[in-house]
Parts: sequence; structure tokens; C-alpha cells
Amino acid sequence: MRAAPVIAAVGATPVKAEHAASSSRDLMAEAVLACLADAGLADLSAVEQGITSYESDHFNLQMTLGAVLHDTIGMIPKPNMRIEGGGATGALALRAAWAQIQSGLCASALVYGVEKNGRGLSSRSANQLFALSADAEWEMMIGGTYTGFYAAMMRAHMAAYGTRETDFAHVAVRNRHNASYNPLAQKPMQITIDDVLGSMPIAEPYKLLDCSLLSDGAACILLATEDWARAHCPRFRQRPPVYFAATGCGSDTMRLGDRYPHISNFRAKREAARQAYAMAGIREPRREIDVAELYDSYSGVEIQAVEDLGFVAEGQGGAAVSAGAFDLSGDLPVNTSGGLMGRGAPVGATGILQAIEIAQQLWGEADPRRQVAGARRGLTDTHAGIASISVVNIFERGD
Amino acid sequence: MTQRVSSQLEIFQQDAAAPDPWAAFRQVERITVELTQRYKYSLGKVSRFFLELERGRFFATTCGGCGKTFAPPRPLCPRCLQPTKWRQLPGTGMVETWSTLHFSPGSNADVRALTPPYVFAYVLLDGADTLFPHLLKAPPAQARRGLPVQVAYSEGAVSHPIHLMYFLPRDPKEEP
Repeated sequence: MRAAPVIAAVGATPVKAEHAASSSRDLMAEAVLACLADAGLADLSAVEQGITSYESDHFNLQMTLGAVLHDTIGMIPKPNMRIEGGGATGALALRAAWAQIQSGLCASALVYGVEKNGRGLSSRSANQLFALSADAEWEMMIGGTYTGFYAAMMRAHMAAYGTRETDFAHVAVRNRHNASYNPLAQKPMQITIDDVLGSMPIAEPYKLLDCSLLSDGAACILLATEDWARAHCPRFRQRPPVYFAATGCGSDTMRLGDRYPHISNFRAKREAARQAYAMAGIREPRREIDVAELYDSYSGVEIQAVEDLGFVAEGQGGAAVSAGAFDLSGDLPVNTSGGLMGRGAPVGATGILQAIEIAQQLWGEADPRRQVAGARRGLTDTHAGIASISVVNIFERGD
Repeated sequence: MTQRVSSQLEIFQQDAAAPDPWAAFRQVERITVELTQRYKYSLGKVSRFFLELERGRFFATTCGGCGKTFAPPRPLCPRCLQPTKWRQLPGTGMVETWSTLHFSPGSNADVRALTPPYVFAYVLLDGADTLFPHLLKAPPAQARRGLPVQVAYSEGAVSHPIHLMYFLPRDPKEEP
């Protein structure tokens, strides 16, 4: 196999509940311009391919947004494709760029993602549209919601392993706290476990503060071969190289009920991690990974994730989280960016934002209050639905 | 398709101290657009499940190859990739997991008619190998893992045929 691609440059807009002054194409253009500035490139003439990352035609009120955005930044007539994989969209888009570069199809690909999920629709409409990404006939029409599916799954985790509401409240507190050290973050908060437990019930056992955010935002990564990045990007030459070293992708049934009897955890995530670890030569992920961005769509999902990614054994996630193992002061800090709860989750940009956080951590460029000292290897974890598709990407500092 | 448009003009300030490269573009018009669609579609090979609900009968499918029984039904066994067979189930079972929902997504008229909090349950039906999700019409405090339930059938018109049924708690001593 060829040497892994490198992250040549990154750019993003702040993540907000609403970028009221910007359309999705405005936001995406701002993220791309920020990425160009980061690369030290004057324009996109040398960049060979564009990969567009967005989830929802309904939210953006525009189909074939890939073509629109590609046109907006003057990438025509170069190749474009749009990637969609629910919440995993951004990570899948990066995986697609990885494959295109590894195959030799191109030496450089711009991956740009955007979403306006924030305030364009009422939360009831947003819930209905997100529920369409469940099995529409059998789950959505009944009156189910994503919060409800995740909540029922967490209830099964609690029944199987004794996981407590205070365990997942810890995630809600920590990730919002971490966000206060991230200038891009949508909603940093200094809250307590009791604040989480006392917040309004949404779908029991999940309360308001156990839920992640609806967001507007855009993010962009320029992925390239190391030779291309050295030849074209002055800024790349000044940083330690960060390789996109490994990628894994797993899948599972659409409906939670079809996974019976194992409904407490994410099989797709275990499979994605297995592939990525094999590719990266990782045997002991807890020890060999220094920093990770996990898909905390709901607080308990992070507990399930640390188990399915092999950081702890299944059933021990709650205790490990509550013990602070994954805090900034822990042995494997996760969601240093604030995660989906604190930084926010503009879906098509989310997986890209996660990779940007890992790149900044590996470059040593994160705010010192959230910088993981000496971080050399980082992981991102995202999934679609209740992990019907799961993507794990691994990045390594090469110097 | 109906469409109504209204608009308002707003000026957005950039909060950073640095010069704004987009200063000439900060006057922004915001509009509201409403789109309503009516969908006509086929329930395809699972149609019989819904037709049987109208007759007060609950059907699943079973794979002749691996013997797995699917509820909700699957016409194609994803493991053996062969057509399944219809099979009637008694409609009794037990709650495996659940959530009490405090907000209704308002997906259709039947859902909008629900008064939150309501219980969304995953039920292991007797004779099935998968969990069937549906509303459990019972006080939230009554919901628990292992609660015996049975399928109940709705009277009158519904907005989607999945609402021809729901779950009710069952006294395990009574015959269904």
C-alpha cells in the first residue's frame, strides 16, 4: 500500500445555533477560504478533486448541493462527488478521499462539509426529519424519535451493566466544559451533574442536557499525498506531518429491535474499530491512542463508544467515565473539542470538525487548556442513525 | 404543493474586532418558505402485515432456511437471501426495553393525538426473534423490563396503518 495521505490544511467556521447571516453556500465558502489560508495556497488551481459532505436535502432545501458548492468555490470542471452517511457523513467523506488518494486517482482532494441544522426549522420539524433517517414505516410513523431509540438502548445498557444516570451525566458536564477552551464551540457551559439530572426529561432516561446540539457550521480539510503537500503548501512544511493512517467502516441493522438480543452496544462500531486498528497496527487502543473525538449524540452514547472502541471492556464504560479516565486530566482524553454536546454538530461538517480537532492536537496547536501533551495518535468515531453505519478514522503524527 | 413567502430585513454585526472582509454583504434578507407534499406509495411485500391488522391478526415472517422469525416482517431473509413465509403470532410478549417520551414528534395525526408523556416500547413477541417497536398505552410508571403485554387493535380510521395496533399490558394469568 502507498504511504498514507496527510492532512495538508484545515479550515472551519465557528459552530453556532444559527449563522443567521449566512446561507449554506456562504458558510462552506468561508470554511474553504480558511483552509486555503491555512495551506498557504493562493487558490484552488492545484487541487484535483472536490468531495462534498452534507447530510440532508430537507434541511438545506437544496438537492445536488454538491454541485452547487463545487461551483461556488470555482472547482469546476474538476471531479466532484457528494457523500452521505447520516451522522457519519463527514468521516465517510474523508474515507472516500483517503481511498481516492490511495488508489492513485488523485494526489489531492478538498473535503468540504456544511449543514444548516440550527434554527431553520422548528425542533418538532427537525425531529420529524431526523426520524425519517430511522426506518420510516416501522419506527418513525409510530411516533418514535431518535432520542427515544437511543434512550431505549441506554436503558438496556443500564439493565445489563448497572450503568447509572450520573455516569452519563458526567459526559454531559465534561464535554460542555471542554468546549469552553475551543473558540469554535457553539455552547460551552459550566454545569454540574445535578444540573444534568435536574434538566427537563426528553426521552427517559435522557434529559435535555444529555442531548447534543442542532447547529449551523462548515468545515474543510485538504487531504493529499505527502509529496503533493510538500510541493504546494508552505504551511505544511512548517508543521509535523499528520497522516490519515487508517480507516474502518462497519454497519448494522437499521432497527434496534432487529439486533436483539444484543441491543446495549454498537456492533458496527466494534467492526469499524477492528478494521481501523488492524490497518494501524493497534493492539491496545487505550494505551496506543492519545486523544479521541467520539460521537456523543447523547451522553450515554459516549459510554457505549468507549466500550465498543475497546478502550474498556463492555459494561465498564460508565465506571471508567465517572472515574475521569476520559477527562482532560485522564489517561485518554476524549472530546477535547467539546464534542457534539459542546462544540456542536452541523451534521455534514461534524466528522470533518472531529478530524480538525485531532489534527490540531497532533500538531500541538490546540488551546493549551485543552491540548493533550505529546499527542501522537488520535481517533475519530462517528455513526449514522443508531450506528447503522459507523466510521473510525485514525491519524498519526509522523515525525 | 403550497408555498407562502414572507421576508424580513436584518443587519448582522460581526463580533470580531478585525476588519470584516464581508462588510458589504452584511445586509441580509430572511424569508420563510413553506412546502407541503402529499406522498402516495406502496407498502410492497410487507403489505399483508398491515392488511391482517385490519382483521385483528398479527403476522410475522419466518425463514425456511435458518428458522428465524421476523417481527416486523422481512420478505427476504437477510442471512439466507431467500423468501420468507408468513406466520401468525398470538400477539403476546414482554417489554424488553422502553423510553418514556415527553415530546411528540407529530409525525402524523395519530402521533399528534398522543398526550406526552407516552411510552415507546420494544417488545419481544412470543414466537419472534426480533423486538417489535410500538406505543405501550399504559401509565409510564407501569413500564418495566419484563412487563407482559399484548397487541391491541384500533377502531376507526388511522393516518398510517401501523396505528391499527398498539401494545397494552396483559394479565399473564389470562388467556390471550
